[in-house]
Amino acid sequence: MSTQAFKYGVSLYSYTDDLGTVMTLEDAMANVADVGATGIEILGEGHIPGYPKPSTGWIRQWSVLLERYGLEPTNYGCWIDTRLRLSRPMTAKEGAEDLARDIRLAARLGFRFVRPKVGVISFDLVPDPIWEESVERVLDLAHVSNVIICPEIHAPTPIRHPVVDAYVNFIQRTGTKNFGLLIDTGIFQDRPLPYFPGETPEMRRDFLNGIRVDPQDFLAIAPYVVFIQAKFHSITDDLVDEHIPWERVVPVLKQAGYSGYLSSEYEGERTPWASLEQVRRQHALLRKLERTHDESHRSIS
Amino acid sequence: MLERHLVQTRGFRNTGPRDAPTGFEFRLRLPSYRGLRASLIDGVDVTVDGAHYGYESNRIELGGREFTLTELREAVDQRWELDEAAIVRVVKPGGLTIGVHEITVGVRIRQSYIPIEFQPSVVKESRKATIVL
Repeated sequence: MSTQAFKYGVSLYSYTDDLGTVMTLEDAMANVADVGATGIEILGEGHIPGYPKPSTGWIRQWSVLLERYGLEPTNYGCWIDTRLRLSRPMTAKEGAEDLARDIRLAARLGFRFVRPKVGVISFDLVPDPIWEESVERVLDLAHVSNVIICPEIHAPTPIRHPVVDAYVNFIQRTGTKNFGLLIDTGIFQDRPLPYFPGETPEMRRDFLNGIRVDPQDFLAIAPYVVFIQAKFHSITDDLVDEHIPWERVVPVLKQAGYSGYLSSEYEGERTPWASLEQVRRQHALLRKLERTHDESHRSIS
Repeated sequence: MLERHLVQTRGFRNTGPRDAPTGFEFRLRLPSYRGLRASLIDGVDVTVDGAHYGYESNRIELGGREFTLTELREAVDQRWELDEAAIVRVVKPGGLTIGVHEITVGVRIRQSYIPIEFQPSVVKESRKATIVL
């Protein structure tokens, strides 16, 4: 039995605090290309100078760099800041306008996926109800722009949760091909993160200890998953991830036939350049696990 | 490029007449992974050598415009980008003495995607910085 190959990418989020202080955009792209990755993920508000209206010069430079390093734009992160003002809540129309702005810019820069991060109204991250009308208003734009809108399923929200059910219901109700799920692999974290500087046990939020979603749960929603952010925090010299059980996650993604991107999202220690080394380790680890899986399946078929 | 510190070395100075300063100011890097609309910044707390200057009173300059906290909270058309230092202005008659100071900032950011019980997010950092003039 042959399995579909993963695509490998990196989110520039991985290089937070390095980009713009000790690293340029081109440095980052050269590092992404050097691990053999083909996809680059960005945050619109984080990585586009002059956002939301970059200069034509910058857009030209973006194309030049993609060509030079052999990278394709993958996912574009944006926000619907529902608490933009303290004085009043955001309307669905305003949410749609913000999302439309980002879909247009993402498409212009060549991105195929747009992840809106919507403001929440509860402790377990139920999104502001305006999300549904805001998204529905821009589905036609997403269609003509050839992008898929994909909110992320992120800890502390597990896969089996009303938030995920609502997104799946939306897809079924509208029949749209321009909306899907993005999985952040932080939901599979099964060991606690280290305390951040100054954090005490009283301050700790439970989900930072890991919400331990069973990787098997992925199978039920796999048909709706269009993108995966490969969230991680620390990988040792022996290529052991200290928090994410990749050895249990990769086989499930394979079983589901997932052939989309694994886009590295490093969220660990922010000492200068640590991100560069950690991303390389993750790619070495993931490729090793994929190879091992493929070889074992070839030998039994 | 900006320095890794939030409080930047260049730009830490007294304000007002040289012989009768009225306060001090410094340049500040945005502690975030994305640029933000200014209304999402809920002021900056400042402590210098143990003396506290509350976020309600400190003013912030972005894009050449100075904002009070009230103005900032409605400033949806102004952005603070990752590669842009804001200027934080603190009123302190007499200013700071020439020499090295311990300066701590608490940058208050309102993130809509974090449960409101945990908002605003306050990013704190301390460093030593020097008033020259």
